[in-house]
Amino acid sequence: MAQTLLRRLRSNLGFASELVSRQLEASFALRGAFWLSVVLMFVNDLIFFSTWWILMARFGHVGGWRLDDMMCLYGITAAGYGLCVVVAGGISDLSRRIDEGDLDAFLTQPKSVLVQALASRTQPAGWGDISVGVGLFALSGKVQLETVPALLIGVLCAFTTFVACGIVAHSLAFWFGRTQTISRALWEFTLMFSMYPPALFGSGLRLVLFTLLPAGLVSYLPVELLLHPSWGALGAALGGSLAYAAFAVWLFEQGLRRYASGNRFTVRG
Amino acid sequence: MSGAYGKYLAIARAAFWQRLSERAALIGRIAFYCLILLVFSCVWRTIFSAPDAPGADGEQAAQRAGDYVWYLALTEWIMLSQPTLYLDIESDVRTGDIAYQLARPLSYVGGKLAEGIGDLLLRMLTLAPFGLLFARLFSGQWADGRGLALAALVGVAAALLLLLCYAAIGLCAFWLHDCTPVYLVWQKLLFVLGGLMVPLSIYPGWLQTLARRLPFASMLYGPGQLVSSPDAGRALELLLELGAWLVLAALLVLGLERRGRRVLELAGG
Repeated sequence: MAQTLLRRLRSNLGFASELVSRQLEASFALRGAFWLSVVLMFVNDLIFFSTWWILMARFGHVGGWRLDDMMCLYGITAAGYGLCVVVAGGISDLSRRIDEGDLDAFLTQPKSVLVQALASRTQPAGWGDISVGVGLFALSGKVQLETVPALLIGVLCAFTTFVACGIVAHSLAFWFGRTQTISRALWEFTLMFSMYPPALFGSGLRLVLFTLLPAGLVSYLPVELLLHPSWGALGAALGGSLAYAAFAVWLFEQGLRRYASGNRFTVRG
Repeated sequence: MSGAYGKYLAIARAAFWQRLSERAALIGRIAFYCLILLVFSCVWRTIFSAPDAPGADGEQAAQRAGDYVWYLALTEWIMLSQPTLYLDIESDVRTGDIAYQLARPLSYVGGKLAEGIGDLLLRMLTLAPFGLLFARLFSGQWADGRGLALAALVGVAAALLLLLCYAAIGLCAFWLHDCTPVYLVWQKLLFVLGGLMVPLSIYPGWLQTLARRLPFASMLYGPGQLVSSPDAGRALELLLELGAWLVLAALLVLGLERRGRRVLELAGG
């Protein structure tokens, strides 16, 4: 059982990496558009982060979080989100594909439908987010050689949770049909909350942020791992992200059983 | 004369009722409005409840935190009410639909603006009661009635100016085809130099001086600060300032349309 699962996972990862590299080649081909998207997203993120710089310059800290801590929190969120839209850019229109019966073409292939749908597109702007993440980590002064593994694991956890959250939000379309607006909103609200320190929110809201909108798994646990590395923090960050990812895959597969074809005749190159 | 205005009025009215039927988009904006006010009420409460917060003691601190929530409620009301007019114009230019619309017995950009005004009014009317409700809920206090009335009046003028700016951005499609980069740069400048989330009075001195000299401040910071500091003289000053910018923006829009039509005639629709 475990061996079958492992083989399936390895095969899907190999297939996903092939799909992603083809998508990346395609996006690099349009060089002008690629760099414009990257630079604009970079500027966009920096301007957004400037709000924190203004607040910290005036008040020193927000709930004990100083500018360098915020750089780590924002850096993990930006890098995780950037990786998500670069590697799994198809996530943003997954609910539309489900609703319009657009998964038909993927169902005919002998590979995972989910992997194909997610890696069917890449968003070059994600590289801008990744660059901002890397820049903020460097500026924060919190990243040393010995904390690099914690940082990489943190970013991977953020990436995994963003993808999983997108799958959960967009899979609602299997049951409720046209959910594009609500699915996208749930995903974007998770992104929004993950950019603010957990110290701001009370216990009730924090419960929501570890379940319905998993901002806690996206950034709070990974940043805790980076700022205060421990086995406990590692277990919480990894365990939380992997459990949420497993739930997302399970939910998508349950939904796929209810999927109705779009009865369309299309040709894929 | 009344017939000429009647056409535009009919377009505005039709856009108003058409957008009213698009409930999902409206609900999405209301939900975002609620969340952004919730998050920032947490930010301000945390900042002012800290023992080392500048000039903060008990009731006064809560009052200041509440004032900032009302400020944000007003600035976000102006921003979230904006229709995506630039995308509509861009799409008309890119698809060539503009060629058919130019044949109609009315100004193309006038028609688009009338449509945008109908949409804008609907959003402002819909979001206003929710803004009052959320701001009262999250700030724990009511704003001064006179301040709200003055801010709303100036806010409507600011929203109209923003709409004209979006039309000008959309008309850039005659030369650029994709206006999103221009829009993103404009939007982020407005966020920071207009004081969307954080009032300019909190900014470092040099940035405050710079921001106050640019038109962005009169669009967001100006009406926002009237909520907590009602001043009829200041409101009149802002209305005159916005009026002058409105005239300039209208001239810019007309000039862009005229030049754009020439490009269209030379290159073909």
